[in-house]
Amino acid sequence: MIHPTEQISAYLDGELHGQELTRLMDHLSRCGRCSADLEQMQFVRSAVRSLPVLELPEALIPEAEPVVVPLRRHKGMWAGVAAAAVVAAVALAAIVTPPPDEISLQQLNSMVGARSTLDPVFGPAKVSAFPVVEE
Amino acid sequence: MRRLLSLVAVLVVVPATAAFGAELDELLERGHEASYSAEQIISCSTPDGVRDALVRIDQVGGELQLTSNATDDVEVIAGDGGWTITSDGGLVAQASVDGAESGGDEIYVVEEEGAVEYLGRVAMAYLLVRDGEPRAELTIDDETGVVVKAVTLTIDNETYCERRFVSLDTEAPVIDKNGVDGVDNPPTLVETSSLPEEVSGFDLLDQYEDESGVRFAYYSDGFFSFALFETPTAVAVPDSTPVEFESGNYRRVFTAGQVTYVWETRDSGMALVGDLPPDLHETVLAEMPHPEDPGLFRRWWRALFG
Repeated sequence: MIHPTEQISAYLDGELHGQELTRLMDHLSRCGRCSADLEQMQFVRSAVRSLPVLELPEALIPEAEPVVVPLRRHKGMWAGVAAAAVVAAVALAAIVTPPPDEISLQQLNSMVGARSTLDPVFGPAKVSAFPVVEE
Repeated sequence: MRRLLSLVAVLVVVPATAAFGAELDELLERGHEASYSAEQIISCSTPDGVRDALVRIDQVGGELQLTSNATDDVEVIAGDGGWTITSDGGLVAQASVDGAESGGDEIYVVEEEGAVEYLGRVAMAYLLVRDGEPRAELTIDDETGVVVKAVTLTIDNETYCERRFVSLDTEAPVIDKNGVDGVDNPPTLVETSSLPEEVSGFDLLDQYEDESGVRFAYYSDGFFSFALFETPTAVAVPDSTPVEFESGNYRRVFTAGQVTYVWETRDSGMALVGDLPPDLHETVLAEMPHPEDPGLFRRWWRALFG
């Protein structure tokens, strides 16, 4: 005769339903050993559940202090994503932004020459030739 | 191939307040109103070699047109308290000036050196002395008041630049302004600045900012003048000479009549353009923001975005 020890344990855990539960009940009604096992197992479980919950002194469990563990893997990943986004944004801006106009020496000299014409003493004594432009 | 510069300037009607002395001031004022055509040679002996150019000058009714063999097709109009520069019909820059003061009040002592003959005409010779050092010799046509010869001198009393007429025609010329006086964008005269009001006897007269963010301040001692530029990007100076001055690195370009120093600070590009003799330029440079390495990132950023 096979004694369904595992089914008894499952029964105590509330995991038996339907035909399995019917067959176990039928077996227990005919098998004294299994009925005794069931009573013993119920007693042990009840005894364990009735034990008081003890709190250990903190001094005994220094290692159990809550520790904030940085999620290095995730942080590194987001930093990389942010850096990539910045690089992408700068690259995009560089593409869509017209390059700054190059300031030429001729432009500066022209402005100075023009402003010089307003000097009271301006005249041939202040004339300057602008830079040569080679083509 | 060299392209011609056509530079048209309408001389603003400003009293000659240079305070060089009554007689010289009167001559210079007469020269502003004179009508003439002339060819002028500019020759400068610079530390980087000789720079020279030939310039044609036409002046009538307060308008001055310069045509040089030395540069691009640029036109300049100055007058009514402002000036504009156009190139190929497009606006390059413009600004306004509320009263062109001479700066450097009484910094020059004028020594009259008497009458001379120049181009077969009677002229008067003057020596301008600054801080006890002769700095310029002016030869002024007695009839027209036009400066027919101007020699600027180094601290060693040697010729730095010589501008002299090789021809003078007092017939009123015809000036073609090519319609460049049609530019109507408002000028941008900047009122405030962190720049010094006075540098080595040069007074800050006015300052400007254009649409691209180029700012410049104009200084004058009454005769010599320079402009200090602050630019968002470095100034392109091909064929420049690297020079080190007071532990700072500059790039220098001499042209006929002007010198340009270019450098960078952490915040901007800088340029100094002026007609000063070399020793005065160095004196001025020593009081300007010194060169600083902007660093790789700033260089990169300026190159991309200005």
